[in-house]
Amino acid sequence: MKISKSKELSKKTKEKQKNILEMLKTHGAKIYDNLDNGQFPKFSIPSRSVSNIVYDKKLRQYILGNNSALRSAKNSSQLRSFTQLMWLAFFANRLTQEKKSSTLRDVYYSSQAFAIEFEDQSESDNIIVDLEAVTSKPREDFHIFPEERSSIFGDLNIEYTIPGYEGKPMNLSNHPDGYSIGPSLTTAELVDTSAEIVIAIEKGGLFTRFVEEQIDKKFKSIIINTGGQAPRSTRTLLKRLHDEMGLPVIVLTDGDVYGEHIAMVIKSGSANAAHLRELTVPDAKWVGVWATDIEKYKLPTIPMTESDIKRCYDLQKDPRYQDGIWKKELDVFLRIKRKAELEAFSKYGLTNITDKYLPQKLELAKSL
Amino acid sequence: MSSIKEKFNQISPSEFFYSNRDLAGFSNPTRSLYTAVREFVENALDACDQKGVLPEVHLIIKAVDPEKSDPKSYILTVKDNGPGVDAKHVPLAFGTVLYGSKFGLKQARGMFGLGATMAILYGQITTNKPVIVKSSTDGKTQDAFELLLDIQKNKPIIVKHTTKEVSKKGLSVSICLEGDYSKAGIKIRDYVYETSLITPYASITFDDPKGQKFHHPRFVKEIPPPPTIIKPHPHGIDVERIRRMIVESQFEIPNIDDVMIEKVRKDLGLSKQNLSFIAIMEKAKKKWKSLSRQVRVVISLTSFLKMDFEKLNKIRIEDIDMPNKKLFYWDFGDSQSKSVDMDPESKYYKQLTNTVQGEPLTTFLTKRFQRVGPTTATKFAEFAGFKPEKRMGAMTNQELVQLSDSLQKFDDFLAPDPSCLAPLGEEPLEKGIKKFFKPDFTAVVQRPASAYSGFPFIIEMGIAYGGEIKSGGPHVYRYANRIPLLYDEGSDVVLKVVNDTDWGRYKIKGEPPFIIVSHICSTRIPYKTAGKENVADRQEIERELRLALQYLSRKLAAYMSKRGQAEMAKKRANLYAKYIPLIAQFCTELAGKKKEPNYKKLLEEEIPIDSKKAIEEENQIENQ
Repeated sequence: MKISKSKELSKKTKEKQKNILEMLKTHGAKIYDNLDNGQFPKFSIPSRSVSNIVYDKKLRQYILGNNSALRSAKNSSQLRSFTQLMWLAFFANRLTQEKKSSTLRDVYYSSQAFAIEFEDQSESDNIIVDLEAVTSKPREDFHIFPEERSSIFGDLNIEYTIPGYEGKPMNLSNHPDGYSIGPSLTTAELVDTSAEIVIAIEKGGLFTRFVEEQIDKKFKSIIINTGGQAPRSTRTLLKRLHDEMGLPVIVLTDGDVYGEHIAMVIKSGSANAAHLRELTVPDAKWVGVWATDIEKYKLPTIPMTESDIKRCYDLQKDPRYQDGIWKKELDVFLRIKRKAELEAFSKYGLTNITDKYLPQKLELAKSL
Repeated sequence: MSSIKEKFNQISPSEFFYSNRDLAGFSNPTRSLYTAVREFVENALDACDQKGVLPEVHLIIKAVDPEKSDPKSYILTVKDNGPGVDAKHVPLAFGTVLYGSKFGLKQARGMFGLGATMAILYGQITTNKPVIVKSSTDGKTQDAFELLLDIQKNKPIIVKHTTKEVSKKGLSVSICLEGDYSKAGIKIRDYVYETSLITPYASITFDDPKGQKFHHPRFVKEIPPPPTIIKPHPHGIDVERIRRMIVESQFEIPNIDDVMIEKVRKDLGLSKQNLSFIAIMEKAKKKWKSLSRQVRVVISLTSFLKMDFEKLNKIRIEDIDMPNKKLFYWDFGDSQSKSVDMDPESKYYKQLTNTVQGEPLTTFLTKRFQRVGPTTATKFAEFAGFKPEKRMGAMTNQELVQLSDSLQKFDDFLAPDPSCLAPLGEEPLEKGIKKFFKPDFTAVVQRPASAYSGFPFIIEMGIAYGGEIKSGGPHVYRYANRIPLLYDEGSDVVLKVVNDTDWGRYKIKGEPPFIIVSHICSTRIPYKTAGKENVADRQEIERELRLALQYLSRKLAAYMSKRGQAEMAKKRANLYAKYIPLIAQFCTELAGKKKEPNYKKLLEEEIPIDSKKAIEEENQIENQ
């Protein structure tokens, strides 16, 4: 059973890789033909300007509107970025074909070997987003990953697909520090699990505590440390755990406006990634720490800063914050103008959060 | 004329200039050396211009004792291939102040040849050495003079005079003077350089005291048309000038001496007859129409004196008092002054009136001034409050002032006649600019003639950009009547106009490599100082300068925008050449092909068309 599933999934992965390569080839061939016919190559790219980012209620995420921009090699002001994008497609093509991984930073440095100039990494990062927008595929599909790593722990069997490890199984509860969510894990086949829920937690410290307290066993859960705002590889993994393994996802963050938004991005994506559709877990639930929890549990607090308050007002304009707990908690934060960290529960003992708060919230999540 | 000269002689112009030499640019050894160079070079060029000779000017400055430190004595020599000066005029021309050939109203570099004499005077004062003048007017004999100036008497002292045979016409003037070449050198070199730009038809050579030779060959083979001498314009006149003109216009009362009486006798056909007074008058009446003016005047006088030839021989006319109708004369026989009354009804009285009181105002205006017709003259008389037939000779001082004021104020005179001006012309100016600065872009303009205070003037201007021109512009080269102006640029009207210009409007930014050449031609340049270095900001001149500069700036702006486009096209072509091959390389692998696409077509065909077009347009603009 297990084996067949693994094989099936592996086939799916190969299929996916083939599609990516096919798509890159199509794009390349079109430009090749243009040049061969003495024409300046051009293509259209969805506009990522603020005016073209709209919230799709059905999809429950931000998406790009219909505006697109023509990028032409004839336009001398676009020529440089056109070439950069061509190089990136070429580089991504090699990565995908050879099943090699790269990071954003690595891409930036690799460019120099091809006489492609990026002024800084943010310029190359931006071109990577362009490639995502043109292909509607996340960069991870092209084997490009961010530097920052989040981690995962719990009873989950996987099989690697990366070269040299193909088919190698691994159980993610074998190592108490957790497993870093990098390219090999993101691309691995998810085989099976005994867990019934995924708990995404904002902080490394609490992640370690949860492992120590064997939350994975006590609550049959897979614990993921998002390390602040969840990287896209982590969001991809969360989505796969939800979609492929059928696990519900809950999010536990600090009791402030940034925590609330970390949960929201996992649930419905960010405006920055409005060009991508496969990074959201619309069913993910934010369970705390809520603003109302601060009062309810009498948590020690610190006052909100100017920028915290400004962020509250900004989010009030976001269509996703117009109803439900999202709106309610935001309003309370603004009212009390104070915030609390997950560690605040230590006031009532080191295991208070795992012993008392978490069970209550897990129970509550069922009704959310 | 002669009476005016006598007036000056009484003050002694030499002495006057000796005590006021600062005014003429001889304030210190540096400035003096530079001014002396200018005066001689400009005289040489003027002399050649006047005779239509392509000038060849050779300037030599030599230190008397090269070991000494500045300031020290230098020998300054300027040789030309001009018409030379007649040997008999040389002592006066170079040995007195205020003797010159440049009278009359037309454009010339110097006015009365004053500056050269000043330089000679300065040389004599500082070194006590004579000026050496060598002149040949026929290209066969050369007269060489060594002259000193008697400052008190304003008279030349001929130290030495020799003649020898030569093969070339021309003049050479050599003076010894105190100067400071280490300081003046740069200005003198600039002066020679800039002079050759505005005198492209001249060949100028300069041997400097350090043994360096600066040669500026002629690069235009034709001399611009010489100016014509013309009458003054009423707006440019003052009381003194009117007074001189009246003197010139009046017929002098003839001296009734033996010669004159002989002439009258002859004209009347009475050479051998001694007729009575009555008979003489009858004969004259018959012959009146054929008589000359002079003879008519003598007959008219005779009619009142009632004398025969014998008696006439013994008197001298003292005064003709027209208002009181009396004729005064000195009788040598009786040794006393006598008078007779004149009958105003007599036709002889009218004849005398014309002679003594000068022309009527209207005739004076139409005959003595440029572009004044009888209608304008009559209109003016009314405007000024004079009767049209008012006799010029009968004007009182007050009336002369009134006349002079009215001449300035009357607006219906035609604009001054510019034929007395000698601009260089657009073509030689452009040629000069291109040769001197090797720019990417040149534009020149000659404005139509205009006038200030009755003096006609023409502005010529050129502008050049890029090429070998140094950045940090605009660099302004100022000229007035083909003289480069090097000192005191700060207060000059040209600089004012240039500095007032907002160059950003003409797409010129930063420290652009560009130059402006401005040439003001006029019968009188309104210099701010006697040193002839900066031009005062007369409103009319400023306006013309502004119009010229605006016109050229617009052309430059058009060029700049084409140049910008051409540069863009070039830049674009470079970008294509850099990036298209990379795109080709990457898409080849992406498309899974082995051979790169043939993108060369794209680089060769598409791009050059753009830049070719821009270059063509650029040339068009330049050729406009």
